[in-house]
Amino acid sequence: MVGSFIPKNKKEALDLKAKYTELIPYSGGTDLMVENRKNPSYLFLGKLNELKGIKKTDGKIEIGAETTFTEALESPIIPQMMKDALILIAAPAIRNTGTFAGNIGNGSAKADSALIEYGLDAVITVESVRGERNIPIEDFYLGRKHIDLNEDEIITKITIPDIHPDFYSYEKVGGRKALAISRIAFLGILEMESDKIKSISVSFGAVSEKIIRYKDVEKMLIGLTKEEAKAKKDEFVKAYEDRMQLTEGRVSADYRKKVTIKLLKEFLKNGGI
Amino acid sequence: MKDISKSVVRKDHEEKITGSCKYVADYDSKGVLIGKLVRSKKAHGKLIGINFPKMPNGYMSVTYEDVPGINEVHIVKDDTPVFAKDSVEYIGEPVAMIIGPDEKIVNELVKETELIIDELEPVLDILKSDTVFFDYEYTKGDHVKAFKEADKVYEETFSTGYQEQAYLETQGMMAEPEEDGKILVHGSMQCVYYVHNAVKKVLGSDDFHIRQDPTGGGFGGKEAWPSIVASEVAVAAYKAKKPVRLVFDRREDLEFTSKRHPSITHYRVAVKNGRVTAMDIDVKFNAGAYTTLSAVVLQRGLICADGVYNIPNLIVKGKALKTNTVPNGAYRGFGAPQTFFPVETIMSHIAQDMGKEPLEFKREHLVKQGDMTSTSGMYHFPVPLEDMIEEVAKASGFYEKRKKYSEKQSGRYRRGIGISMHFHGAGFTGAGERDLIKAVAKLKKHKDGTVEVLAANGEIGQGLRTTFPKIVAHELGIPLDRVYYNWPDTGKVPDSGPTVASRSLMVVGELMRRLAIKLKEIWKDGEEQIVEERFREPSFVIPFNLDIFQGDAYPTYAWGVQAVEIELDTLTGLMKNLGTWASFDVGTPADYNIVMGQMEGGLLQGLGYSSMEKMDYDKNGRIRNNNFSDYLIPTSMDVPNMNVQLHVEEYPDGPYGAKGAGELPLVGVPAAYVEAVSQALGGVRINHIPFTQEDAMKEIAKKDE
Repeated sequence: MVGSFIPKNKKEALDLKAKYTELIPYSGGTDLMVENRKNPSYLFLGKLNELKGIKKTDGKIEIGAETTFTEALESPIIPQMMKDALILIAAPAIRNTGTFAGNIGNGSAKADSALIEYGLDAVITVESVRGERNIPIEDFYLGRKHIDLNEDEIITKITIPDIHPDFYSYEKVGGRKALAISRIAFLGILEMESDKIKSISVSFGAVSEKIIRYKDVEKMLIGLTKEEAKAKKDEFVKAYEDRMQLTEGRVSADYRKKVTIKLLKEFLKNGGI
Repeated sequence: MKDISKSVVRKDHEEKITGSCKYVADYDSKGVLIGKLVRSKKAHGKLIGINFPKMPNGYMSVTYEDVPGINEVHIVKDDTPVFAKDSVEYIGEPVAMIIGPDEKIVNELVKETELIIDELEPVLDILKSDTVFFDYEYTKGDHVKAFKEADKVYEETFSTGYQEQAYLETQGMMAEPEEDGKILVHGSMQCVYYVHNAVKKVLGSDDFHIRQDPTGGGFGGKEAWPSIVASEVAVAAYKAKKPVRLVFDRREDLEFTSKRHPSITHYRVAVKNGRVTAMDIDVKFNAGAYTTLSAVVLQRGLICADGVYNIPNLIVKGKALKTNTVPNGAYRGFGAPQTFFPVETIMSHIAQDMGKEPLEFKREHLVKQGDMTSTSGMYHFPVPLEDMIEEVAKASGFYEKRKKYSEKQSGRYRRGIGISMHFHGAGFTGAGERDLIKAVAKLKKHKDGTVEVLAANGEIGQGLRTTFPKIVAHELGIPLDRVYYNWPDTGKVPDSGPTVASRSLMVVGELMRRLAIKLKEIWKDGEEQIVEERFREPSFVIPFNLDIFQGDAYPTYAWGVQAVEIELDTLTGLMKNLGTWASFDVGTPADYNIVMGQMEGGLLQGLGYSSMEKMDYDKNGRIRNNNFSDYLIPTSMDVPNMNVQLHVEEYPDGPYGAKGAGELPLVGVPAAYVEAVSQALGGVRINHIPFTQEDAMKEIAKKDE
């Protein structure tokens, strides 16, 4: 037990994390406060201005890892689909203190902001005294409660593309309207180029150990017109049906399977496919 | 609105709003030993022994051997041990307590304590239970003949789940040796004299008194369980000769204290010439491991099993069966929700089968004043259901919506609306009020002209600290701030009975009114004066005989009608509550805001019970939903637009016409909810609650195929 630290700046935070690798990064504390660990050693990062804030740079949006959900909701830069997910997180008090880093830092496939980051091919920046690494989010998540973060590193930034898709659909299924851990979350994004599908992104959260996104399946529809895609629709849906192995949790795997497929079909239908 | 109904600022408003209100956990810990229970991790077994770790100085264990009196908690029967002795009967059963000054060390010692248990096969399925705690049967008319002559007999089985009271403050109790050698036990509870009688048996003496502390909600969950917790701390303080406090953490409270009984009910209904002529009803309640309150919960459930209908021929059978699970007990409604749900629902199903609108069919069967009750007593007073149905139908647009949603719906979202009717027997079941409780209450006028209420009923959020003084002040014609009601202490107050069965305001409130009249007659300025009143059974009551369930089970009834409208998302099974309307007749409201708070709160608990509140145990008998992420109750965001009307049918023997209120609003909700969901699903028959999003999806999937 080394005690807890409130670093003054990022450099000090990185130095501390290098020196005391057992320090637990503490962002908003909305999970850690509930855990109420005995004699914890925390590295308090939530108030570091260098790790906060949202900015737009050449087609990209950079979100400081310690930005709170409320701050993001108030930002004109954050895309609406992210806001759709953020506004349904827990309750106002938790959104006021919960952060992007914290949401992905515990490695849960139920993290509401992480689903949007998956769908948008976000890049996670992690830093240490040794330098920085930029990791595509699907590589960042290694498994349940397991992320690609070395013991001297902290999450510093999340970068998403500044896109304005032709169509997207976000759905969250919880047990109630607030303070509800996602039982199923869905994000579908459709981008067209003239009359052809430029990209299609389909992600499922909270249904498996990791967020599910099959880029090889998505390829099936890329470059097709909507009419052509319609012909492949059944095959496309079946690819998900066959491949998705969903886990039993607060709801059954069977329920998850039924709903995910229904949401996928609805997305395609509303997207004109 | 009557003068008495006009709302006042609650007496406990300030302290609760500012947070200065001191609950049992808030007392200074200096010199207080922290208690933690060593609980069985096995659902069933012979208890061979306990290996305690070496106790540091100042720490000690407490077991059944330390009980100075008898190791039994007096509830209705006395089968619940204070600490398990020869066997363990459910996961979480208290076997010992460890007490000491440092909570962390106490927790460690609890962890290191080893229970030696010879495991036995637990009984977890009530249909396989061969231990019948209570077995009742009653009849009315000639059911055999009616079934023989029926045109058609309908049969259906229903089930209901657990419901956890989820009060804000968990169970907590403290026992303190006092200078005069007595022990003061105080904490979170509904019924000081229930606790008193339990502790008396356990200590084997009268050298103690019980005081209620501010109590953060009860909903029935603090009717019987505090007797167990108080017995545990009383024994510990007796042994240690020091103050001992035991406060449950939330997981303990969710997992190891009583809940609403899960039930399985089977209905057979005879119909002749389009009318229901008889019902044959079989009710099974999962009692859990000990009897606690199951007898009385079951009685109430059985008495209202034929609903608000005039059914001339009845046979009603009921059993409370033992399982190796946590004992179940009281929760707002007390057995009634488990039978109102099936009776309302099967009536709807019969109507549908006959091609009739359920509400129309039900109206043809409604009881009215002068009709015989299920137990051959009488509905002595006007039954306002017809008017209340119209009030709710009008407010909700029921007829138009019901008709519109019965047409074929398409698209992602489908709607449904349902309505149900119910009553709640006001006060204790049967002759309990007259033969067992025999309520006594007093008023003490101090020399300075202030008046103190001396009664045993607990403020648990329902407003008694305000409404009792309000009645007294009203009758005496003095300002409300001159009348007060302290937290009841059995060393100071007479036994005006328990805080249960929606009886306090109706029965003890009436004593308050009579006391005030009495005091006014003899009022002398500057003198201390005490007046006393006792319960008198109203003369119209047909005496109830519990052996054969015959007579007036209740002197009067509170009535309820509620409608629920939902929108079903056919892709996810999520059900959105578009509105909930109700009309409740609780007689004259003693305070409009307090009563409305009760009505809306109860409605919401009913909606949770119907939809999302799901709790179950696994194959080992362990309850898995032991936190609020896994046991979901509605949040403020889930509160629908609630439209509640009060329909006042005055009860002459209640204060200013008041009758039982607290439990009523929860009881009838499930049937209305399920009827709405059923319509949205295109008429699917639903026979269990909670009906969750997952259940809805199963029905949707069936249709897909």
